[in-house]
Amino acid sequence: MDTNIGPDEMLIHMGPHHIAQPGPFRLNVKLKGETVQDSDVEMGFIHKGIEKILESKTYLQGIPVVDRACYLAALTNEEAFVGCVEKLAGIEPTERSQYIRVIVEELSRIQSHLLGYGEYTEFIGFMTMFFYPMTVREKILDLLEMTTGARITHSYLRFGGVRDDLPEGFEAKCKEAFALLRRGLEEWGELMKSDTIYRERTVGVGVLTPDTAKEMGVTGPPLRATGVDFDIRKDEPYLVYDDLDFKVCTETAGDVYARIWVRVAEIYESMYIIEQALDQMPSGPLFPENLPYDRRAPVMRVPEGEVFHRVEDPRGEMGMYMVSDGSDKPYRVKIRGPVFPTMQAMPPLIKDSQLADVVAIVGSLDPCVSEADR
Amino acid sequence: MEAEKIIDSLNAKFPDTISDSQIESEKRISAYAEAGSIVEICRYLKDELQFDHLSSETAVDLILKDEIEVVYHLSSFGQPLVLKLKARLPRNNPEIESITSVYWDANWYEREAYELFGVQYRNHPNLRNLVLPDELLGDWPLRKDYEDFPQKTAKNLV
Repeated sequence: MDTNIGPDEMLIHMGPHHIAQPGPFRLNVKLKGETVQDSDVEMGFIHKGIEKILESKTYLQGIPVVDRACYLAALTNEEAFVGCVEKLAGIEPTERSQYIRVIVEELSRIQSHLLGYGEYTEFIGFMTMFFYPMTVREKILDLLEMTTGARITHSYLRFGGVRDDLPEGFEAKCKEAFALLRRGLEEWGELMKSDTIYRERTVGVGVLTPDTAKEMGVTGPPLRATGVDFDIRKDEPYLVYDDLDFKVCTETAGDVYARIWVRVAEIYESMYIIEQALDQMPSGPLFPENLPYDRRAPVMRVPEGEVFHRVEDPRGEMGMYMVSDGSDKPYRVKIRGPVFPTMQAMPPLIKDSQLADVVAIVGSLDPCVSEADR
Repeated sequence: MEAEKIIDSLNAKFPDTISDSQIESEKRISAYAEAGSIVEICRYLKDELQFDHLSSETAVDLILKDEIEVVYHLSSFGQPLVLKLKARLPRNNPEIESITSVYWDANWYEREAYELFGVQYRNHPNLRNLVLPDELLGDWPLRKDYEDFPQKTAKNLV
């Protein structure tokens, strides 16, 4: 961005700590009146160097580290990492653990979308609405906690399986939470659909067309809100997603309003997936018999090779590229998060919009800055 | 389009600049490209072979071969295929043409590869640091010789 400002222009720095930002990044906007002329994103405020850290950790030690890349999608990050190692080492997880993984990952998607939903309404000034999804989200986190032992960073997946089986009474608690969530979603949906001010602030704001969204590399709900049915779970099925019945949720408008409804529809779809998985889940061992390494082996030498494994994160396409040189640590891991390209698309997206809409547009992309910075 | 057809089409179009093309698995293809013609190859892949999505772009430091490999993962919104395209660059002077003219979102990926590995992208619209502070620029922290290579292994853990 050209930082020279004219006599009737103004430069505003939003962030790195701004009330309406999901994480620390700086958005420099150049305004003419109230209209955004140009903008620029500054990042790196929570750069953790995860890719470098992974190079000095053994494969098993890597699992808690990738958790921290995005604390809202810890389980899908783990899935990408563990999936890479499994492909390299030729391990096939047992069917039961694949189903358990699907269940916890979908729960993780629900909690992430609920936060995205609530946080977003807070950004546009619908403060009350924030607390409704957060209450139910706590029930979902309870489910995750009783399974994995942690609310946010789980370290639950293992190479070839999962750490523990589902606890007793999980299904009943799941039903209870889902009933609450379904009722809640209906109520909030009505609240938001009937609110004129909410509609005025979101309908037709921050519109992405399918072609520009594809050009910018945007994936996940922002892309699906434009009508493109791109979902890694369908396009490149991993785990048992092939055996489960679900649809890719899309909208056509591509604006802020559509993005929120895609997330809400995905919450319903995730609940449906989990219920199916609970029904279909076979009993059996958690780990395959011919596991080449001990389940808790601190050192495992993974055969030489490289792999690119993609999974569907709550925010879009999450891929990891892993190079192994045959030692006990990965030679190189590249984390391709969905938020990185989405954040890149912010400046063109907010161009020519009003300053008050900037927060609505940025919030509707649900960027997890931690993952973009890594 | 099927993987074999894509490989045949690439080899026929760029007989001198594409090498080692192979099918790694059902949905993964890989190939090496001559660094000098990376933009034409990407342009062809995007316009003719439907690879309209840049999944990731990064670099790998192969210190033992004295090379830096730039790795492009090209995929598509329409077909579930990922093409891994690599270009070898000399380690003392890694320089390659930027593909931002083909893939708009390569911009940040290239900035990241620049600040972490020191890959110089020619004709990049805005080649400066993205996540690192200014003081670290020039240290190329993701290179393997940044603070003692090889690092300690986990041998002492057992």
